[in-house]
Parts: sequence; C-alpha cells; structure tokens
Amino acid sequence: MGTEGSQVQSLPGMQVHPLKKNLYEVAIGPAHPGSGHMRILVRVEGDVMVEVDPDIGFVHRTMEKLSEGRDWMKNIPLFERMAILDACNVTLPYVEAVEKLLDVDPPERAKYLRTLLCEINRVASHLYGFGIFGVFLGHSTLYMWAFGDREVFVELAERLTGARLTHTYPMFGGVRRDMPDDFGQHVRKAAAYMRRRLDEYAKIFLLNPNIRSRLEGVGVVSKSRAVELGLAGPNVRASGVRYDVRLAEPYEAYDRVDFEIPIYEEGDSLARAWQRVEEIKQSLSIMEQAVDWLEKHPREGFVHEKFWKTAPPIYKKVYAGEVPYAGKYRVKMIPLYASLKVPAGRSFARTESAHGEITYYVESDGKDVPYRVRLVSGSYRNVIAFKYVMPGHRLADLPAIYGSFDYFPPEWDR
Amino acid sequence: MVDMVTPYEIGHGILRYIIFYPPVYQFVIIPGLIAALVVAIFIIWFERKAAARVQMRYGPYEISPRTGGATQLIADLIRYSFQEIIVPRTVDAVIYFAAPVAAVILSLLPLDAMPLTTNPAFWPIPMDYSLLLAVALMTLSPIFVMAMAWASNNKFSVIGGVRESFIVTAYELVAVLSMLSVAAAMSTYNLVDIVQAQSSGLWFGLLDPLAFLTAFIATLMTTSGFPFEIPDSESEIVAGPYTEYTGLMYGLDMGAAYIKRWVFSVLMALIFLGGWAPYVPGPGFVLGYLVPSLIVSVKALVIMAIMSFLRAVYGRYRIDQALGIGWEILVPLALAAIGIGFAEAYFHVYAYMGVMALAS
Amino acid sequence: MSTSAQGIVERLRSILGLAPEAPVEQLKGYVEVSVDPASLRDAAAKLKAAGFDHVKSVTAVDYPDKKQIKVIYHASSMLDESLSGYVVGLATSVDRDNPTVPSLSSIWVSAEFQEREMYEFFGVNFEGHPDLRPLLLTPDVAAQRPLRKDFKVVEEDDYLKSTYDEYTSTKRWV
Repeated sequence: MGTEGSQVQSLPGMQVHPLKKNLYEVAIGPAHPGSGHMRILVRVEGDVMVEVDPDIGFVHRTMEKLSEGRDWMKNIPLFERMAILDACNVTLPYVEAVEKLLDVDPPERAKYLRTLLCEINRVASHLYGFGIFGVFLGHSTLYMWAFGDREVFVELAERLTGARLTHTYPMFGGVRRDMPDDFGQHVRKAAAYMRRRLDEYAKIFLLNPNIRSRLEGVGVVSKSRAVELGLAGPNVRASGVRYDVRLAEPYEAYDRVDFEIPIYEEGDSLARAWQRVEEIKQSLSIMEQAVDWLEKHPREGFVHEKFWKTAPPIYKKVYAGEVPYAGKYRVKMIPLYASLKVPAGRSFARTESAHGEITYYVESDGKDVPYRVRLVSGSYRNVIAFKYVMPGHRLADLPAIYGSFDYFPPEWDR
Repeated sequence: MVDMVTPYEIGHGILRYIIFYPPVYQFVIIPGLIAALVVAIFIIWFERKAAARVQMRYGPYEISPRTGGATQLIADLIRYSFQEIIVPRTVDAVIYFAAPVAAVILSLLPLDAMPLTTNPAFWPIPMDYSLLLAVALMTLSPIFVMAMAWASNNKFSVIGGVRESFIVTAYELVAVLSMLSVAAAMSTYNLVDIVQAQSSGLWFGLLDPLAFLTAFIATLMTTSGFPFEIPDSESEIVAGPYTEYTGLMYGLDMGAAYIKRWVFSVLMALIFLGGWAPYVPGPGFVLGYLVPSLIVSVKALVIMAIMSFLRAVYGRYRIDQALGIGWEILVPLALAAIGIGFAEAYFHVYAYMGVMALAS
Repeated sequence: MSTSAQGIVERLRSILGLAPEAPVEQLKGYVEVSVDPASLRDAAAKLKAAGFDHVKSVTAVDYPDKKQIKVIYHASSMLDESLSGYVVGLATSVDRDNPTVPSLSSIWVSAEFQEREMYEFFGVNFEGHPDLRPLLLTPDVAAQRPLRKDFKVVEEDDYLKSTYDEYTSTKRWV
C-alpha cells in the first residue's frame, strides 16, 4: 500500500504505474479463495469498480508450441488437458479438422457415440460451473450438491470410456471403443435423477430471494454488446442472441437429434444461471435420444475402414468380445496412428463446448507433426467481458459476474 | 479464644466468595468464558453437522466415528493452540496483539450486568437498570474489530473493517431498539422483574414477535452469521479483518465472534424466552444460582442452533443490500415493536397478570 | 462443413469489391481471402458492414523459408442467419523481420485480447492497438518471441546443469 512519493526499490523487469488519487487498487490475486488461477487487478473508487484488468497466464502450458513437436495422435491428450472437465468437446474440433484434411468421414455409430459423450461432458461441466458459482456467493450448499451430482455423470463417462476425466475418446476416423451393453439403462437413470435434482437446485438457489437479489440486474450485457464483444456459449445465448454452433454448422449427429436452444432476453447473471439449467435439461434429452439410436442399431464399425483394415486380427477379436482379457495381448492403439502423415492443407473446425465455442485452425505441411495449431476456447472469448462489463458495479459484484460467466482459467491459458 | 476455621467454612468461603461470587461466576464460568467456549465448540460442531446433513454428506466423521465426530473440534482447538503465530513485519504490533484480546474481554462484559436469579445475594450489580446497562455494554466491542483491520496493514483487512463499521452502525441500532421494547411493555428496566413478569408462561417473544424477529436478525448481522457474513466474506476479501491472524490469535478472533453471538443469545433468552421462567429459584448455590443459569444457557443454546442452521440455506448479501435492509426495513420494524410494547403497557397486559405491583 | 462453396465465394467477392483474380480460396472449413496490409482495415470494415460481426480467432503463422508471417482473422456472424454457417479468414502477409499490421480492434472489439497474444508470441506489432502489452507471458519471455520457428524448445534434463551463480545472473534454471 505505498503512497505517492514513497521510495520503491527498483527490480529488473518491474514497471511502476502512477495511480490517480482516489483509486484504490485491489489485486484479486492468484492465491485468493475467490479467484481461480488468475489475477484480476481492480481499481475501486469507494466501493465501485472503475477499471478491471484481467491478468492471466498463470496456468500457461504452451500447448500451441508443444503441439508442433508431437505426432498428430499425441496431440489429442495434450489438448484435452485444456479443459479436462469437458474432454470430448475440447478435442473434437481438432479431430474434425484433421479428418477434413485426411478426407475421412467417421461412421454413423461413431458420430452418435461422440455426441453422447459430448453431452455427458456438457452436463458435468455445467454442474462444476454451478458449484464454483455457489462458492463465490457464499452458498456452500449448492457447491456440495453440484459436485455430488456431477459424480453421477463422471461415472457414466467412466463406464463408456474407461477413464473418469481424461477420456481421449475421439480419434481420427472414429472413437476409441464402443459402449457397453447395459449403458442405456444407466443413462436413463442418470437423466431421471438429474431432472429431479434440478428442481431442488431451483428452489434453493435460483429462486432463493437472497441469491436473486445478488444476481438480478447484475452484469447486464445487451444483445448488441454481446455480439460486439464476441462472447461465446451460454453467455451470449442468455443475452438474446440465437447462436449455437450445433445449429449454425451442425457437426456429428446434431442434425439428426431433436433439441431446442433456450434463449433468455435479460442478459444479467440470473439469466446466465437459468440458461445453464435449461441447457442441462436439453443435454439430458439428447443423451437419451443418442442412446436409443445406439441400442437399436447393430454394432458395426466405430472406426473408419481406412484405419480399421490395418489393425492386426487380435484387435478385431478383442473388440468383438471374443477375447476375455485384452491386457494380456497388449491391445492398444491401432498402429497406423503412430506414424500418421496428414496431407498438406489448412482447415478450420468448431464445436460448442460447455464454456463456449472452441475453434481450431490446423495447418499441415505433409509431415507427421502439425505445422501450426491455433486454438481459441470459449473462456478465451469471454474474458474480454471482465474488462468491459464489470466497471460500474460494486466490488462485491465481482464474484457474482465472474461466476456467472463460468470462466475457466486453464481453458484460456492453454 | 480464636475461632478455628473449619474446613466446612473454608469450602463455603471458597464457594461463596470466589467461585459463586457473581461477577466472577458470570464472567468466567456460566454463562461466561468457560460456558462460552464450550458452547462455541458445540455450536461449531452442530453447524457443520447440520449443514452436512442438508448437503448430502457426513460432516466431521473421521476423528471419532461413534460419537459422530464430536471431538473434532477439540482436535481443532489443540491444533490452534500449537500452531505458530506468524506476525507480519508491517503490522502495528501493539494494536495487532491487543485488539483481539480486548474484543474478547469486552464481548464478555455484558454478562456481568445480567442477573440470573431472584436471590439478591447472587446479583452481580444490584441495580434497577440492568437491561439498559447490558445493552449499552454490548456496543463496546466492534471498535476493536476495526482496530484489528487497521493494524493489519492489508488492503483486504481495510475493506473488511470499513464494511464492519457500516454494518455495526446500522445493526447495533436495530438490536438496541428491539431489546428495549420490552422495557416499554413492562415499564421497568430491571431484568429480574422482566423475567418474573413472564413466569406465568406469557413469554414476551410470543406477545411481541416483531421485537424477537428484529433482535434475531440484528444478532445475525452483527456477528457474521449467514446470510449476512459480510465482514469476513471468504470469496471476496479473503478473511476481512482477520486476514493477517494465524494460530491462536485467529482462534481468538473467531472466538470473539461466537462469544458475541452467545451474549446476545443469553440476553434474548432472558427477555424474549422467559429466562429461568417456569423454575422458581430456591435458596443455596445449586438451586438458587447454578440451576437458573443452566436453564438460561440452554435457552440461549437453542437460539444459537437456529442461527447456525441458516448457513446451509442462504448465500451472502452484498454490503449495500444489507445496509438497505437495515435502515429501510428493520429500523421501522424495531420502532413498530416499541410501539407494540407501548400498546401492551396501555392495555395493562402485564399488570393484568398482577405483576405491575412489583414495579410501582 | 461449409457447402455451397461457390455461393459464399461470389458473395465475398462482391462484398469486398475484389477483382476476379484476387485470391479467395475455399479451404476445408473456411474461406480465405488474402489482402495486403494497407487495405486490411478497409476490407474489415466492409466485412463488418456486411454482417460479419465478430472475430473468432486471430492467428499468426510463421514461414521462415518465405520470410513472412501471415496473420489471419477468422470472422463470422452471430446475428445474420445466412452467414453464421460460414467462417471467413481475412489474411495478410507481412515481412518477418519487422512485422507491422494495422490493428483491427477498433473495428472488431473481440480481436483486442487476441492481438495482444499474437504480439507477445510472434512479435507482430499492431498499430493503433489501445493497450499493446503481453497478456500471458512475462516480458522477458515474450521478448524471445516463443512461437516463432527459430525458438527451439530445449528439453530439460532431470539433473540441473547450471550453478547458482548462473541462476542469479540470468534468473533461469536450465
């Protein structure tokens, strides 16, 4: 808390910014119970925020540079760590972009399986966002409930892929494995349970007069402002803009399942919270439809023929269920992937993840490592809202707005 | 010939003049420091268990599964006692150490103004204005929280201290007004008469629920209970005024908050829930002093348990919303409660019960 | 997948007023339009007026053999239903040794933070940017322009090679 004219010791790389007289700078810093892994430099005048400067980069893991040195297949687990809650949604555009370069279209069954896992991840990620939102507002009950219910969906993903969070499920040409036989009943049980729980969430949190007074009218983003700032995901749909990648440019099986896009007009924090609740409900219905389709159709290929025909016969036996224990024979990835060379070209793919819209720009020059991968996630596009939406609100509104945007720092920092 | 002092007389002397000496007994034993600490331990455990039951989990469990984790808090207390107290260099040392201690002492002081029995030998301060004195003493401790915040030399503490000052100004007023409404109804400031007037089962909380409600909310507010946990709101300003305190000093700060809540609850039990009402104190230490104080403590414990249950249901208000509630809603309600008290006095509600003769 | 390639290519040509031989390529997933840096702002303003109201990503690609850095703005539309299925990549190429590109953050606010990131990783100077400073990296790492192809990632060993004196002078353990 230095005052004007105090002598500060000068260290290399330090920058000194003089502050105006009435502004008080508070660093909601990286080691703060309510900030996540980022720092927000807030300049307040009294209790009202005047300037907000997000200072990010604490979790930067240089994914774009690392991807230029790894094989095409090994980049999938790398990019997954960007937002591990949402693993399928985050790696899917990369897989789609490379499939466009390879000129390979995955089989129908693979598309439905990818859609199923995408929706499971979307529900789990929204519940995580609710939990963090509850903690920011001091409502520990919502935090415990949301994380407890998220376990249901994490276990569903474990049944499907074998791993709780680090699925690495989509591959070039298909998915890694097919679903178990009794998966349908688990999905239906989980969907029924979640629908019951959402009513209780509404009662204790969204319709709680205490929380409503904190959220109503706070952080209002108008429709034109949301488009101008380029926000993504549920935040822009809660401001009245009817935009969803699943509608605009349908990918995987989304043009064949029946779902709606909920739109809210108000654009404040409460609308964003309700938007996520409605999206969870839509995701549950998509999951049920996908599982219905998958159960009705026979179990044919889940990987494109071009890759499947290079697999040794033992792989085919394992995946057909004729071999009891696959680990004994060390059945791992189809060998062609390890030395995959993608033809030269440039491509662009986008999907809708839980936090927003993820876009990948992939450039290849014919080698077995990418030339350039550029990825922009939903949280990346939302952080600009901190700078433009927060000023004018009180300091205590910062957690309310932060939590309602569902900003996930590792997804920005990559 | 010198009178030999018998062991009976020594024992009687110790009991009469040291342990059951009213100012010492009420400040240190029941409902004083020891009772406050035991109650704080119990209430924190109860808060965690009740919140856990709502939140689909177990709460404290590992330490002693058969008693439901009841000794978890003892373990926490032992840990606090042995933790290193880290004192930052930039802190104003005298106030940093003196303020929590002063806060605890001043929080306990109102207990010495409340009589807990009808026997005049056991009144700490024999006076006719005990209610007024107790309420006045309760307003002393907040200044030390602000001193803590200033001495900590930390931006978050200063913000917390400023919030505390705003809140205290608003809600002490509401608390004082609602607790004085009983004086309006019964035309006396003497706490013993107030409790005697409720001895026929006509508790003041039933006759003037508005006063009870506003006093309850005001207590929640001054002692950082949900939904008003503003000065030490964790997700916004780390721990407010208590940010720079570690180890036993932090335990003292938290203790000061719970002790203040305890003192408010004892006063509310005396005023609104009838004190030791159905029980008529007999002679002697046990029947005349220990038992009434225990009854009052149990009633205060019930009030504190209700306050700690609210943790599971509510979030946190913003500072300007909380102040808005205080000045715009609660102060008029407290004045209305005093008005109801005056109406009851006009209609001789308590005089009808034949108690007005005591006061006149 | 963007279908009806010809439709969007023709529409872009008419929006931007380009000559028929100007490069507008339909690539896999987006349509790339190459302009030179001087007319970048113009083209962006025309695109925004036609309905492309936000930028999805700002990419810079380093071509050391051609001695160029190519900056691509992928823009699309949220409000216009006919355009929201298409992504347009507005590309320019600048010299590698002194890359300067006019900043588009006055036209598209959504490009502001992304241009900062390209500044720190590639050293591309965006003229007219209101607040050009490193976003993710510390200034001394950003000065080495990490994402260029001549920045080799040095693999670290399990054992430290440098001594404490080397650390105090360079502030880096290797």
